[in-house]
Amino acid sequence: MLKGLSTRLLQHLVAQNAWASPLLQLFAGKSVQLNIALLNTSLIILENGSLAIAGETNVPDAVITIPPSLLLRLMAKDESAKLQIKIDGDTHLATELAKVFSHMRWDYEDDLSRLVGDVPANKIGEFSRHAVTTIKETTTNLADMLSEYWQEEKPMLAKKRHVEQFNAEVDTLRADVERLEKRLNKLTKLNTANPSNPDNR
Amino acid sequence: MTTEHNTHFGFKTVAETEKAKKVADVFHSVASKYDLMNDVMSAGLHRGWKRFAVSVSGVGSGDKVLDIAGGSGDLSKLFAQKVGTSGQVILTDINASMLGVGRDRMLDAGLNVPTLQCDAEKLPFPDQYFDCVIVAFGLRNMTHKDRALAEMQRVLKVGGRLLVLEFSKVWQPLSKVYDAYSFKLLPLMGKLLAKDAESYQYLAESIRMHPDQETLKQMMIDAGLSKVDYYNLAAGVVALHKGYKT
Repeated sequence: MLKGLSTRLLQHLVAQNAWASPLLQLFAGKSVQLNIALLNTSLIILENGSLAIAGETNVPDAVITIPPSLLLRLMAKDESAKLQIKIDGDTHLATELAKVFSHMRWDYEDDLSRLVGDVPANKIGEFSRHAVTTIKETTTNLADMLSEYWQEEKPMLAKKRHVEQFNAEVDTLRADVERLEKRLNKLTKLNTANPSNPDNR
Repeated sequence: MTTEHNTHFGFKTVAETEKAKKVADVFHSVASKYDLMNDVMSAGLHRGWKRFAVSVSGVGSGDKVLDIAGGSGDLSKLFAQKVGTSGQVILTDINASMLGVGRDRMLDAGLNVPTLQCDAEKLPFPDQYFDCVIVAFGLRNMTHKDRALAEMQRVLKVGGRLLVLEFSKVWQPLSKVYDAYSFKLLPLMGKLLAKDAESYQYLAESIRMHPDQETLKQMMIDAGLSKVDYYNLAAGVVALHKGYKT
């Protein structure tokens, strides 16, 4: 049941992104296992350039592993996180599939239009986009307001320039300590080499 | 145990030469109510299983598909939509009564699907002709499954796929419930709806005698298919096997 539903969703997504089929078709018959956070599933690329959930005894040609912490960074659009995705097996296949997935878009307005008609679907789409933007802006404003309060009115958070100044002072202190350590070492070596030094008595 | 000249017909052992006739009698008997009974017996799930088989077949526009033991033509109808006017679907069955039902349904649906009565163990098609061959709920009725699978492999193009949708071994914790359903309820439903308890008793028995998932996978490998994989559907009540000709 779940396999059927997942396969239908995948194929619907590929059908909405028609550019993906010729790219996938190059790897027809190959399969990729995805270990993304708690989700473990294997996908097989079909001969018509679509995707399906692989069977029970499938041996994957490539394995893509994304731990939960990395997933959060990827969702936050951290470019450096992409380099830490673990790929085993056919890396070319895994990279191409990852590229296809990263460019795929779900046209929810199109799906909605089949249920409620074009105009309401467009209005719902606009409302959703507006709602998402408003939520994003409100969240950013709230975060800015709270950080300002905790920095100025009730100092619980350090200001950026104070942190930078503190870091610079720590760096200077570290350099000074290193220099002092080297001088002490040098003096210790000198004393060991010359025991007649009056300071040793 | 079956000898070289004997085979299974449900739980009975019969001469190989008799099996085809006995299976034919069963399907002549159930043909007119076949769809209704399938819907009742599987609570409509057989339609979902068939759709799933089509969705993982990889069949696209312009492909050639052979539907073996296609009976009432459910799969041929779905495949005909997939291959479009540039492709070709051929509906076959060894049983004239079942094929008649399928042919009429194709015509009623306005689909150009040729129907052909033939034995899956001696397919009248050239080597490497089809992109996809499918047999749904038909393999267990064949006398020599190995010969039939070899024939299906022969008519596939290189890169072509063989799909076998068939009843299989159910998940162990459900086996007692499934047995009670198969041997008590199924013949009763057959008696009430199709006035034919015996045929439905045979269906239940033939399902039990059919190879399990791993055995069928090995049989497909032995027939020359590769990358054979299977899906358990409804906890293994049905399994969909897929193999490639390489």
